[in-house]
Amino acid sequence: MNNQSGVLAKRSLALLLVVAVAVTAVIGWWPGKNTVVQPPEEIEDYLFWQAKDLTDFKLIGANSKTLSLNDLKGKWSFIFFGYTHCPDVCPLTMGVLGQAFRLLEKDPAASQEIQGIFISVDPKRDTPELLKEYVAYFNSKFTGVTGDTAQLDALARQMSALYTIHPREPEKTGDNYLVSHNSTVFLVDPQGRLYGRFPPPQAPQEIAEIFIKIRMFYNERSKKRWFFF
Amino acid sequence: MVFFLKTFISLALGFVALSASADGVNIQIQGPWVLAAPPNVKVLAAYLEIKNNGDKPQILTNVSSPAFEQVGIHRSVMHGNTAHMEHLKELTIPPRASVVLKPGGLHFMLTDAKKPLHIGDQVPMTLNFKDGGKIAVTAIVRSGQIEGMEDHQHMDHSGHENHKH
Ligand SMILES: [Cu+2]
Repeated sequence: MNNQSGVLAKRSLALLLVVAVAVTAVIGWWPGKNTVVQPPEEIEDYLFWQAKDLTDFKLIGANSKTLSLNDLKGKWSFIFFGYTHCPDVCPLTMGVLGQAFRLLEKDPAASQEIQGIFISVDPKRDTPELLKEYVAYFNSKFTGVTGDTAQLDALARQMSALYTIHPREPEKTGDNYLVSHNSTVFLVDPQGRLYGRFPPPQAPQEIAEIFIKIRMFYNERSKKRWFFF
Repeated sequence: MVFFLKTFISLALGFVALSASADGVNIQIQGPWVLAAPPNVKVLAAYLEIKNNGDKPQILTNVSSPAFEQVGIHRSVMHGNTAHMEHLKELTIPPRASVVLKPGGLHFMLTDAKKPLHIGDQVPMTLNFKDGGKIAVTAIVRSGQIEGMEDHQHMDHSGHENHKH
């Protein structure tokens, strides 16, 4: 009798264990499945596989105002590395981004969260005051900054936005030299992480539409995170 | 403006050639424009289409403009996502073909503007060819919107830029 009840107890314990494991698995699986939100296919190519934390930096804008990682937090930042002596790719891209920002005004919630940052990799010729005027031409939500080579290099490296300042062409006089630069528009999320990118050639409609979807995906994902974890 | 009027008139009259170079080979220039940039920038880019209606290649060797200290023939090239600019000594337009200068590619690099330029301003330029031929054009400063939006803008502007079409 004693023996029998012992077997029974063992059996119920085993059953309980199986049930417990099953329940845990189901509970674990359920929210888990909901939490791993896959990005919609159309925005996949614009997103980094994993959002990348940026280390702090210090760049200088007009009136000696500094721009650091903290200034990127709480907003979506569209970042472009260029230089004002670039007559073709830079004004073209800045024009496209400015137009995209105007298109985004149709979505006031999204529009309130965006800022554009033009980082000049040519601090020798581009003063912060000149940059202020330069970016204002394209959009009022743009900030122009530059910095010393070490700061520029450190940030550019984190975004894989390498640039090269070329020696002056021999036949040219004065201060004329060319700079090669990455013409991707980088997207930093409100947590200050490198989140996405718009490779060249960009179009205003493309940037606006993709950004709306990226933002929606981001908000959706953080909402789920918040509830289940 | 004069240039556009000429274009318009010659097209209307059925003449294709705007200018003939020394050996009588026809070169036609279409749609010259300058990409608008903030007034404080020193360097701008001009674009146009050069059509060679003749049977011999034409070689553009030099461009000048009274509005700029220097004009060069440039090409933007993408290596991956990195934009480079290269200087070209000359630009060959093959016979019965055209070469299009457009944003993100071939352009005339206009360096050191003598005064700030704004949308709607005119920039006179002279294209000099190897055989001695010269063509004077006037480029209009405008924004670099994509085609669809441009058309939209044109409509909004009550046809003031319609000579382009
Ligand atoms: Cu150039």
